[in-house]
Amino acid sequence: MSFAALQSLLPQLILALGATAVLMFGAWIPKRRLWLTVGLLLALSAALVAGLMEAPLAEVGGMYATTLYARFCTVVWSLTIAATLLISFRYADLHRFGGGEYTSLLLFAAAGMSLLSAATSLIGLFLGLEAFTLVLYILIAFNRTDDRGAEAGLKYLVFGAVATGFLAFGIALIYAASGSFHFQEALAGIQIEGALRPIGLAGWAMLLVAVGFKISLVPFHLWTPDVYQGAPAPISGVLATAAKGAVLTAFLPLLTMLGESGAEIKNVLWLLAIITMLVGTFAALPQTNLKRMLAYSSVVHMGYLLIALLVGGSDGGQALLFYLVIYSFATFGAFGVVTSFATEHEELQEYEDLRGLGYLHPRRSIVLAAFMLSLAGIPPLAGFFAKFGLFQAALRNGYAGLAIIGVFASLVSVYYYLRPIIVLFMQERSAYQLHPGSKSEYLLLAGCFVAILALGIYPEPLLNLVVLVLP
Amino acid sequence: MADYLLSIMTFFPLLGILVLLFIPRDNGGLLKGFTLAVSLITFAISLPLAFDNVFTTSGGMHYREFYEWINIGNFFQMNYNLGVDGISLWLVMLTTFITPITILSTWNAVDKNVKGFMAMLLLLETGMLGAFISLDLFLFYIFWELMLIPMYFLIGIWGGKNRIYAAVKFFIYTAVGSLLMLVAIIFVYYFAVQSGVPMNGFGIEELYKLDLPYNAQFWLFLAFGFSFAIKVPMFPLHTWLPDAHTEAPTAGSVILAAVLLKMGTYGYIRFAMPMFPEALPTFIPFLAFLSVVGIIYGSLVAMMQDDIKKLVAYSSVAHLGFVMLGIFALNMQGFAGGMIQMINHGISTGALFLIVGFLYERRHTRLITEFGGVATKMPIFATIFMIITFSSIGLPGTNGFVGEFLALMGAFHSSLRWYAVFATSGVILAAIYMLWVYQRVMFGKVTNPENEKLKDLSLREIVIMLPLLLFVFWIGIYPNTFFSKMNPAMEQMLEHMGQGKVAVVEMHQPTDAGSHAPVKKHGHN
Repeated sequence: MSFAALQSLLPQLILALGATAVLMFGAWIPKRRLWLTVGLLLALSAALVAGLMEAPLAEVGGMYATTLYARFCTVVWSLTIAATLLISFRYADLHRFGGGEYTSLLLFAAAGMSLLSAATSLIGLFLGLEAFTLVLYILIAFNRTDDRGAEAGLKYLVFGAVATGFLAFGIALIYAASGSFHFQEALAGIQIEGALRPIGLAGWAMLLVAVGFKISLVPFHLWTPDVYQGAPAPISGVLATAAKGAVLTAFLPLLTMLGESGAEIKNVLWLLAIITMLVGTFAALPQTNLKRMLAYSSVVHMGYLLIALLVGGSDGGQALLFYLVIYSFATFGAFGVVTSFATEHEELQEYEDLRGLGYLHPRRSIVLAAFMLSLAGIPPLAGFFAKFGLFQAALRNGYAGLAIIGVFASLVSVYYYLRPIIVLFMQERSAYQLHPGSKSEYLLLAGCFVAILALGIYPEPLLNLVVLVLP
Repeated sequence: MADYLLSIMTFFPLLGILVLLFIPRDNGGLLKGFTLAVSLITFAISLPLAFDNVFTTSGGMHYREFYEWINIGNFFQMNYNLGVDGISLWLVMLTTFITPITILSTWNAVDKNVKGFMAMLLLLETGMLGAFISLDLFLFYIFWELMLIPMYFLIGIWGGKNRIYAAVKFFIYTAVGSLLMLVAIIFVYYFAVQSGVPMNGFGIEELYKLDLPYNAQFWLFLAFGFSFAIKVPMFPLHTWLPDAHTEAPTAGSVILAAVLLKMGTYGYIRFAMPMFPEALPTFIPFLAFLSVVGIIYGSLVAMMQDDIKKLVAYSSVAHLGFVMLGIFALNMQGFAGGMIQMINHGISTGALFLIVGFLYERRHTRLITEFGGVATKMPIFATIFMIITFSSIGLPGTNGFVGEFLALMGAFHSSLRWYAVFATSGVILAAIYMLWVYQRVMFGKVTNPENEKLKDLSLREIVIMLPLLLFVFWIGIYPNTFFSKMNPAMEQMLEHMGQGKVAVVEMHQPTDAGSHAPVKKHGHN
């Protein structure tokens, strides 16, 4: 590998080498907060490098791109991981997490996600995806005293392993048909006269199953609520946002490259989008557990994002990235509040336990309410613009049916997003005080809150950025 | 200052919230006093509008403010585009006028989480004002939705026993309408871009000039109309209203009745009707029919209520039926009647909710049977209640008469003659239920011993009611103050809708006798 190649992958190297170093030195110096801080700084510096430094090579090793798009994704995932570390300070203390391991695993996850979004070959895609899912298996079950966590980790492992199998098989089929791992040649190789060859179609079907598992599309979503519920809240936040976003951003260029010949694939995606939105919506309605509700909510949002993926092109890309970022702010913020409400023995996630907290802890409750309203798409919060942009793109590109189902789903969603607000503010509490929350938690929550408020009133900067980074 | 008057007025309450956050939460008096001051200053800021004579001469938009807000190529384009004309002028004034009154009315009624309550009221004011002065469809939508959240919390947190049910019902009904409207907005924009008319964001003046095919107009009118009909509310979409009104705290009910319901009628006048003038004739018979059903049904149901607040809530359904009927007459009288009736309803129904609030604060019940003979104990209250009752019934000399008379007259002289005939029965029914409730509550002997100790209105309560009484008589005796500023804008609007080949019926011209749907379709057939 040349120096230029290393320099091009500098953000990922910072994350991965940093993770290794933290893991090693963490064993000798068991200071939790120290390593969390170091991890935070590493993630931030990776984001800075990715954001500011022009890469000397456009593509590294025929596997990873260093385009603006890839760098943008790296920035977003690094920041998500930085946010996860920031929110975890008190939480890690509560559950006596090993600071070195926890930090290093999260950094590895960031490296994996950023490689995944940057992938330009099927091998790169596979490596990136596996790098961060493997790490997540551990992180989900990180709290060893929690049976639910272990159950969730196992569940994710089993489902994930199946998905990996499908992915590997799909890649193998595409390779067999085209003789290349590189996206462009591989995709060209499986096409004939503007349509997919049967073997290519089979390969794509496998890929779709794998993607379906990873971003929990119905009917591959069954693991989602259990895993979200059992995993530590900060990790659930990563699962719901960056882990899904990375997969989506990796597939956006792939699907765009497929172009017209992907008609069959698009039909399948169209169907998946519809059932994902509908099933997710109706499954979310009866939930009485905040984390489970957020799990189904993430399923529904993946359905929306699938619309953007289908629309493709610059319209779809804009809508997808914009939506993803804003969805991530709100969802991660919501999991942040759950983290902040956690006690030594449990996370307050049942609605029953959240009753009347709005009066005891008004700041965090108000912020949570704002996240819910943003997810529901109520202006002037940013979620509204995100939905508007997405449905508008769908209507303009001839996906009126999907847009209408999306609107219907977001209409019903109002009901389940209002329920946490009702329990927080409109019901009486058999009061007991929680931990007042730490400064780092407040910092993160305030950041997410300001983001969804400011982007709701003035979304132009983010929109401009998104337009800029799209290929 | 005149250049930015609308912005300053709209966002002053929001600024107030920011300061409010730093006032200690247990200092209820200071919180209330500060909020009152903010709302009074907002009212003062808006006053120059009411005295500006430009509205008497020109029906166009004034006090324009225009800034590019978001412009991302084909993805989003929308502007911060404000302005006020004779149609929105009095609604803006009504909003700034009624808000201090509601805040003053909460003095003793709200003691739980005062800070949140006041913040919600101020947020609501910003939302309402913004919606009335937005000239960009998209901006309007944002403000329209902005009203939803504070109202939801006002009902849900400070409401009565069934508050959560009522709040969720309110939210979901409104959200259904809103999302439908949003889809329609996207489609309007889509059509506009396709038709090649130069667009200016979602500027409504440009949207007025769109000449959409009849088919598109039909569906878009349906979507917009449905959304606004929920807010008005028109029969049969009114069922959220009694619940929301009954459960809301007094201040919430007053704002809801006085201003929020006007959003629906205003939406018809400003958006649905002028944007889709060719579809309008198709819908008028249907909408007029629903208005008349609303009038009669609302009145009959109001008559049967044993809860005073519910009675007032159902009377709202009936009153807004008159507003809609007047507007759909599409002539000057009807339009003027509908417009002034919007203001009247704000004043008299707002006042009625305050009156119910006074009773409730004293007795903690709203059941009519619990009262009786209150007049002997509360003479000042009895007088005020009487005047407001007359205003609500539409007795000549009060504001209600002017509005209902003009609206009915306009409808009678239009194609809606037979609808007007039936609607007139609503006037009689209103007299029956209002006078009956007045009689049962106020007259007779005091039968319930608990009513013996009732105290008459305090100075604060009288101060709350006096401005309302002033306008009851002002509009009732000299409505020209208001009409003179509305007329040019209304003429312009009617003329515009006439361009869409709406049959503006000449006065006194006999229509097809006996036909229930005399307006003919004039679309592209």
